[in-house]
Amino acid sequence: MTNATSVRAAKPSPSPWKPAKKKPSKPATGSGITALNGKWAYLFVAPFFIMFLVFGLAPVIFSTYIAFFHFDPIGDQTFAGLANFKELLADDRFWNAVGNTFQIWLLSTIPMLLISISLAAVLHNPALKGSTFWRTILMVPNITSVLAVSIVFGQLFGRDFGMINIVIGALGFPHVDFIEDPFSGHIAIATMIVWRWAGYNALIFLAAMLAIPGELYESAALDGAGKLKQFLFVTLPGLRNTITFVLIVGTIGGLQVFAEPLTLGGSFNGGDTRQFSTLTLFLYEQAFVAGRWGYAAAVGILITVIVAIVSAINFVITRRISGESKK
Amino acid sequence: MRSKKWLITQIVAIASAGILALGVVTPAKASPSPVTLNFWYFGNVLEPKLVKMYNALHPEVKIQPKQMDLDALNGQSAIAACQGVGIAADIMAIEISYSGYWRQKPQCFTDLRTLQTSGQTTAIKRTNGVAQTSGTSYLTQDCPATYDRTTTFDCIPAGETANTLKSDYLDWRWANGVGNNGAVFGIPTDVGGLQVAYRTDLFKKAGLPTDRTKVSALWPTWDKFIATGAKYVKTLSAADRKKNKSFMDNIGTIYSAILNQGTQKYYSAPTAKDPNGKVVVATNPQVKTAFNTTLAASTAGIGSKVGQFSADWGVGMSNGAFATILAPAWMMDYIKQLAPDTMGKWDIATIPGGGGNMGGSQLTIPAGSKNKQAAWDFITWYLAPAQQLTTFKTYGLFPSAKNIYNDASIQGYTDPFFNNAPIGKIYAAGATKLKPIFEGMRQRCIDQAMGSAISLVANAKKDSKGKPYTAATAFPKGLADAALCQNQ
Repeated sequence: MTNATSVRAAKPSPSPWKPAKKKPSKPATGSGITALNGKWAYLFVAPFFIMFLVFGLAPVIFSTYIAFFHFDPIGDQTFAGLANFKELLADDRFWNAVGNTFQIWLLSTIPMLLISISLAAVLHNPALKGSTFWRTILMVPNITSVLAVSIVFGQLFGRDFGMINIVIGALGFPHVDFIEDPFSGHIAIATMIVWRWAGYNALIFLAAMLAIPGELYESAALDGAGKLKQFLFVTLPGLRNTITFVLIVGTIGGLQVFAEPLTLGGSFNGGDTRQFSTLTLFLYEQAFVAGRWGYAAAVGILITVIVAIVSAINFVITRRISGESKK
Repeated sequence: MRSKKWLITQIVAIASAGILALGVVTPAKASPSPVTLNFWYFGNVLEPKLVKMYNALHPEVKIQPKQMDLDALNGQSAIAACQGVGIAADIMAIEISYSGYWRQKPQCFTDLRTLQTSGQTTAIKRTNGVAQTSGTSYLTQDCPATYDRTTTFDCIPAGETANTLKSDYLDWRWANGVGNNGAVFGIPTDVGGLQVAYRTDLFKKAGLPTDRTKVSALWPTWDKFIATGAKYVKTLSAADRKKNKSFMDNIGTIYSAILNQGTQKYYSAPTAKDPNGKVVVATNPQVKTAFNTTLAASTAGIGSKVGQFSADWGVGMSNGAFATILAPAWMMDYIKQLAPDTMGKWDIATIPGGGGNMGGSQLTIPAGSKNKQAAWDFITWYLAPAQQLTTFKTYGLFPSAKNIYNDASIQGYTDPFFNNAPIGKIYAAGATKLKPIFEGMRQRCIDQAMGSAISLVANAKKDSKGKPYTAATAFPKGLADAALCQNQ
């Protein structure tokens, strides 16, 4: 493959953060697609917005509405005011789900960031042969069916006959019950999430790394910085915005983890002691096993609130860090 | 934009009309037009062998199976089907634990009293009850002129409705498919009569008797069952115990078994005033007995704490990680599938406390189905006594068609996988002894709440004050969670 760094060194790539110097575009005149810009633009963006209206916004509005009702989808629907929310805040099953979700999120996000950045750094190495092949391979976990992944991991994490426990047993340690013990179970789920998303995020980090101007590395090298120091003081600061992005997208996804705990625990209540009951699993259980749609909608709204708060905290913290370093 | 979409729709519509027209025109004979029946089910409700038989009789009917999770099917999908939002199910299996919910919404399903069978003119050729094949397809024959319910089950006459078929089935299983307004929304599939499957080789190793009558005599009561289990566990080596080997797979199953041996579970029997029954979870002594007995089994350490249907469960079954499984009739098929190497090592003994049903479903036709006639013809054939007999012999699902219980093919049926135990006789005796139990509206939810409470103690979980749960503290916790099932 081409030597990425040397190519960049020869011809500095445009920074994505600064608009490239271009000839100022002339206002559209007369013919061509530019003349129809206004109308055609709407057409091209329409599919997304129609889908979003039907499958995104409408359900959000509807579930906000039914959160204030005792709502039987094919029966009585009576106005409940804030009763659902009041009950929810006092429901220890809900707080259990909040705790589980955050634990899984923490256990998966931090290792995932470290692994993704390391993978990206390896791929960024100009000495690596067949880089397109490796980049493609990284995407494979992400496009594999979650259910298939869960079944395979379910076999790996089995208490008595799972491969991981056979290794643990061979090393002389007692078997770990990845299904009944909450903490080990959360590690198992986090492993699945990391396996699934680390490669995907690595590609995002790789893209950001490729956008870091080569001359920074050159001047760092001239100043006597080794590979590690270059990584710490050139690459990492250059990834700050990307880290924010990955963290926020990861938070939105991580706080809605559903298929992994469902298939590993095997039931909608999240296992015998609700050890796998995450927020979205709790929502589903309330809607479709307990038949309480209004209550489930209230859970949905609180998930939105929680995700918004956590994303805001993420954003502020990463902003502050990058702001301080700019001094 | 809209016009473009419209254009595409038109093209698709014209193209598919053309294809359809071709399909109708091509055959020279006036054969019935093709029908696709979408059959949504869970577990092993659908038997591929029977579908093949039906295809031999009705090549024009294509059964499109879709297997789903029980809760997803009976919760989410059934609700969607009721609302008629693009759900294409023509036949849907409703498990009895959800029947209490659906019986108060019979409008979601077709009232099967209103449908009439078209009548079957051909039958599968059978010799001594065994279907005859030629290559991969089944041989068929014309139906005799007169219909005899006891011999020519394939040949369902025209005009049969749910009303005329009712007498073929166990009354209390039939009742699981009757709505509060009297509408019949489902025809019963199987009966999950409970017995105990045990490993003769492991029993022998532990110095316990292996003969099924002697084994049954070991445990007339649940206390004796637990005592036998404790005895068995004592004979295990420390290494085996460290590997979580034990007497039975999961003690949680004791809870459901005992509960199903009573006269009521979480709801009192319905009355005219209270068609959905009253919630009696807190006052029914059977619930507390089941709860405490299960916890006694937990204390005795007779379960290997492996979740049923998990990966470890299947492997453990092969490896002898446990010696007994409480086995509703349908469980036998799971054992055969998951542990084929243990053939001949299993046997069947009677369950402590006698009787008890676990599971079973009804086949329903959602109100929105567009192929009601074809679906009704299929269901009436599929659940006719002869087919239930085939299902029993192939998959172990015990018939809900009561008039074949005394049939020689049931009474004399033995299975080499279960050491030639007369499983037909054992399960038939159990099924006739069963007392009907009313399945209430939020039963599935309450079941899960109580099951969680048992696990709190069994897994030594701590409460919010940091104290380990005991029977005394976990029971109220279960009741509190169960009470939430009633909120709407």
